[in-house]
Formats: sequence, C-alpha cells, structure tokens
Amino acid sequence: MDISNYLYLSALLFTIGAVGVVVRRNAIVVFMCIELMLNAANLAFVTFSRINGNLDGQVASFFTMVVAACEVVVGLAIIVTIYRSRRSASVDDASLLKR
Amino acid sequence: MLTAPVLNYSLLAPILVVLGGALLGVLVEAFLSKAVRPAAQLAIALGTLVLSFAQIIRVRNLTSLTAAVNSVTIDGAGVFIQGTILVLAFIALLLIADQDNFAAQASAVPGSEEERSAIATGKIQTEIFPLTLFAVAGMMLFPLASDLITLFVALEVLSLPLYLMAGLSRRRRLLSQEAALKYFLLGAYSSAFFLFGAAFLYGFSGSLSLNGIAAAITGGQGNDVFLLIGIAFLSVGLLFKVGAVPFHSWTPDVYQGAPTPITAFMAACTKVAAFGATLRIFYVGLSAAQWEWKPIITVVAILTMAVGAIAAIAQRDVKRALAFSSIAHAGFLLTGVLALNKSGLSASLFYIVAYGFTTIGAFGIVTLVRDSAGEVTDLNRWIGLGKKSPFISGMFVLFLLSFAGIPLTSGFIGKFSLFNAAYETGNITVVVVGVLASAVAAFFYLRIVVMLFFTEPTNDSVTVVIPSIMTRFAITFCALVTVVLGVYPSLLLNTTQTFANFLK
Amino acid sequence: MNPYVPILVIGAIGFGFAAISVVAAAITGPKRYNRAKSDAYECGIEPSPQAAGGGRFPVKYFLTAMLFIVFDIEIVFLYPWAVTFDKLGLFGLVEMMIFILTVFIAYAYVWRRGGLEWD
Repeated sequence: MDISNYLYLSALLFTIGAVGVVVRRNAIVVFMCIELMLNAANLAFVTFSRINGNLDGQVASFFTMVVAACEVVVGLAIIVTIYRSRRSASVDDASLLKR
Repeated sequence: MLTAPVLNYSLLAPILVVLGGALLGVLVEAFLSKAVRPAAQLAIALGTLVLSFAQIIRVRNLTSLTAAVNSVTIDGAGVFIQGTILVLAFIALLLIADQDNFAAQASAVPGSEEERSAIATGKIQTEIFPLTLFAVAGMMLFPLASDLITLFVALEVLSLPLYLMAGLSRRRRLLSQEAALKYFLLGAYSSAFFLFGAAFLYGFSGSLSLNGIAAAITGGQGNDVFLLIGIAFLSVGLLFKVGAVPFHSWTPDVYQGAPTPITAFMAACTKVAAFGATLRIFYVGLSAAQWEWKPIITVVAILTMAVGAIAAIAQRDVKRALAFSSIAHAGFLLTGVLALNKSGLSASLFYIVAYGFTTIGAFGIVTLVRDSAGEVTDLNRWIGLGKKSPFISGMFVLFLLSFAGIPLTSGFIGKFSLFNAAYETGNITVVVVGVLASAVAAFFYLRIVVMLFFTEPTNDSVTVVIPSIMTRFAITFCALVTVVLGVYPSLLLNTTQTFANFLK
Repeated sequence: MNPYVPILVIGAIGFGFAAISVVAAAITGPKRYNRAKSDAYECGIEPSPQAAGGGRFPVKYFLTAMLFIVFDIEIVFLYPWAVTFDKLGLFGLVEMMIFILTVFIAYAYVWRRGGLEWD
C-alpha cells in the first residue's frame, strides 16, 4: 500500500479534530477532539519515521503520548472543578468573561 | 550502533536546579505540617531562583551545541533570556507570596461550607509555589531547546502549571475557573497545531533538530509542501503562545480571570520564554526559508500592533486593557523576529527586559486597588485615584508611559531600537504601522492618566491598600528598572549586544 | 542458548504464580458469602440495570482514572530502556533511577494528600 495514505489519514483525523473543537459545545468532547489532533500528529510522526528511515519520529511519538496523558489529567481536573461549581460542562455556559 | 549519550550537567545546572527545587516543594507539601508550609515553600522557591541565577552567572560565557546531545543549545541569547526569566520570576513570586489572592482550597465548590471552613481555619494550599517553579523550569528550557521534541515538552511543562494557576483565584472564583478552562482548551488546541507542524517539519527534513531542518532547507532536496505545512502549523502554535492576532482572543479573558499576581507572572515570563523560542526557531531553523514566512509574519505583526492598540481604547477593565496592551507589545516584538539580524536580536532582548519589568509593576499595582470585595478592576472606579494615593498612582502612570514609549522610560529605548533594526532591514511598512500604533496606544494611556489625576473622585469605597513589604519591593524595583533603563540604556544595551548571538 | 527459553521460563513462572495464588487463597482465606461477593466485580459500579447515581460515573472514578493514567503512561519510557539496557550501561541505570525517583515523589504527594482514599 502507498505509504502516503497514512499521511492523508493523519491530515483527515487532524481536520476532524480541529473542526470538532470549533463546533462542539461540551468541554469533554472538545477535549477529546484535541486528543484526536494530537494522535493525528503522532500518526504523522510515525509515518515520516518510516519514510525517512530513521527512528526519531517514533521517539517523538512516545513523548507525545506521555505529554498528552499529562494534559488529559490537568484538563480533566479543570473540567471537574468547573462541573462541580456549575453542574454543567458546556463551554457556552462558561461565559461570564466578556467576549 | 548505540552509545550512551553524554549530558553536560554543569551547563544544564540552571534548569536542573529549578526542577530540583520544584520537586523539593512537592515533598514539603506532602510531608511538612500545615503551619510551617507557607514559609518553607516561599523560602525554597526564592532560594531556588537565586541558586539558579548563580548558575547562570557561572555559565554566562560558555557556549555549547551538545549540552544534552543535540537537544539543548547553550548560547549568549539563550543564557540572557534564562537570566531574564529568573529575575522576572523572582519579582513575580514576591507578588504571588501575598497568599491572600489565592483560593484556600481549589477543589472546594465556590461559596460552599467546605470553602468557608478552609479559609476560617487558615487551611491554605501552597501548591502555587512548586507549580510556579515547574513553569519557570519549562520557560527556561523553551528558549534553549533546539530540537522539536524538546520544544514541545518544554512548551507543555511551562503551560500545564499555568493552566492550573489561572484557576486559583480566591475571589470571583467562577470567573477564575472559567479563565482556566478557556486557557486550557485553547492552549491545548494550539499545542496540537504546534505538534502537527513539528511532524511535518520532521517529514520534510528527516531530522528533529533545528540545525538539521536548516540544512535540509539549504540543501533543497525535501518536499516543499511538507515544509510549508510545517512552518504554517508550527507558527500557529507559537503565535498563540505569544498572543499575536488572530490568535489573541484568549489573552484578555485569561488575564482578566486569573489571579492578578499570576497574570503578572504569565504576562511577563511566558512572553519572554515564548519569544525566546520563537526567535531561535526563526533565526536558527527557518531563516533560510525566510521568503516563505516573512510576508505572513509581517501581516501578523501589523495586525497585532493595530488590533492591540485600538482594542485597548474600548476597554472598561484595567486588566483587559493591560492584556490588549500586551498584545500590542507582542506585535512590536514580532518586528524583531522579522529583522533576522544581530541588531534585531539585540533590540528584542532589550525590549523583552523592559516590557517584562514594566508589566509586572503595572499588574502589581492592580493588586493594591481594592474595595471590601477584593480588587477593583473597573476603570471607572479608578477615577480620581491620583488624589487619594498620589505615590502609587504616580508609579502606575510611570509604567503606562513606558508602555506608551515616552522618552526617559525603558519602553522608549526598546521601541526605538526595535524600529531602528526593522528600518535597517527595509521593513518600512512595519515601522510606519508600529509608530502609528504607538501613537494610538499613547492616547489610550494618557486617557488613564487624565482619569487618575485630573478628574474629581466620585466613589469613595475604593482604596489603595498598604502593600506588604514584598509587594512594595517588587513594585519599587520594577519602577526603578523602568526609569534606569530609560535614562542609562547603555547599561543594558551593551550587555544585549554582547549576548545577542544564536549558536548554529 | 535458545532465545525463547527465557520467555518460556517467564511463562512458567507466571502460570505457577497464578496457580499457587488460587490454591493458596482457597486453602488459607476466610470464607464469607454476601451479595457483593456474588457480583461480577467485587468493587466498582453496579453492572446492571445501570450505574449508581443515575447512570453517571461519580467524580471519584475520574480522579482515580486520572492518577492511573499518569502513573501508567510513565512505563512507556521503561520499554526502550529495557531494550537498550546493556548498551546504555551505568548511565542508563542512573538516569532511570532519577526518573523513577521523581515519579515516586509524585506518588508520595498523592498518597499524603489523600488522593488514594476512596471516601
């Protein structure tokens, strides 16, 4: 199979994630879309690693995974505190600050 | 064949010391009793920064491309930026040490019995100090990082603590939590763009290091589509962090919602670190492809200066106004990125220092203007404050004049040398827009001066509280730097010229 | 030596441990029967008809899951180290010890601040 198909898939996933962040209203779903974007970048890293014939890209994907996990924890912590004070996880409800 | 890598601990010491201090802070939080925690944490944090600065002094004249294999470059500009971050963080920490600004228990629901009892019993969480140190460590690594993984990791290490710190305000907690959520979601969004761009730059060059990318651009074998995608997405991530238009929309909200000492820390140190990394990426990694990105960054710089200056006028809230002013300053600093020569770099370094101290000073004063419910940030209630407390208001005016770039303040010298560098390289458009934006901004700042000093006070409940000794020192120091750099700029200009070089 | 022998040994030890645990628990453990014992899982949510609290997971699950994710993902760095253990030698050992120490500091913090307590 043509290896560039992986790049198309990666670009597709990234676009789905990027559009999802803009159109979805639930903070958790927005957050999942961001994770999708990070994973798209990971797929691109691994594909390029294969194309370029060195392992740097695979190493990068390891670090991305760990950083993404830490981001999940910080993000969920923030969303949980917000949920506890408002009983809602919609990003539209969080609009006390002026636009 | 794999051989064990060599780490030069001596050159990495400034960063390692800060990370060690942060870990120590975590242990203190876990094992020391509540009574001694605040004092111990403050001592550890301040001591760590001093120790790290001593290490900076030690390595200031050393350069190395291989301090951590190829991931970290120690060079003049990098060390200068690290030192700047440390001093700014020290001053900001003195403001942060005023515990009164932070939520006693971040996990308690606002207004609940749990929160009231936490405040009443003096049960205070002091995690803010280790979090600050972790952020500082990330900020110190970011401008030195010379490969894409290290850049990404450093970016996250500096961002993650800041997301949490933005949500820790004691008063108006819903606002603060909302700021944290916005900052987090948009910050993570931009990190994803940064990472995707990094992946494509790697795909283009087959190397993660900035030097490898530069060599691939010069060599011209790679796929140019990958290069363009890479530059575009990487720039989105960076421009978000520095708060440039059109990626600035988070700045006013986050600056307004976050506790004011954290806003000061964020506005000064994050911007210094982000510009350090931006300068390195564009000067070292992408300078050979300047014809691809210069037009775009020029447009972004012009938009940033214009939007920042014009939108500031419409603001009714001091913190939002200062946020837009910081956006405008990001635009001015981008002209330093565009210059791509030694004088541009030197001017950027000077501007970063001038901007950092002025910003911390200005936000420091915002923490002092209060009524019974806490800080008052509504500009209309600041009317006539100059009559009630002329000294503090006078200092605030000094910072505003420096933001506006009036002569005899550090802001003037900074703007002058930046525009000079941009003019030398033929960026006339940018210089013209920059000067016009400065004029617009000056109008806005002068309006506040009139409000403070030449309007009769209407509302008597607003007072300027007597600052604690640490806050007093922080604000005075910032004012002193602003004046001294305005009157004797050569003190720092000579240093920035010596240090203004990136090792390639 | 055949490279698959260590894998066989690991497999045998694993099987032996499982078998011994089951037998030892059956012989030595106290035997009490109640409703919780007959559930599919002895802890966690009711599998049917729906989870406690109106079908939503309580926040505590998120907290525990978050802690699990962080500590779990750190293991990712141990695999490359295990593969190159001989080549990295003492340097690798020292660096990984420092890495594991920092993870333990985080763990100590979580433990002392009550992050592992269910109620």
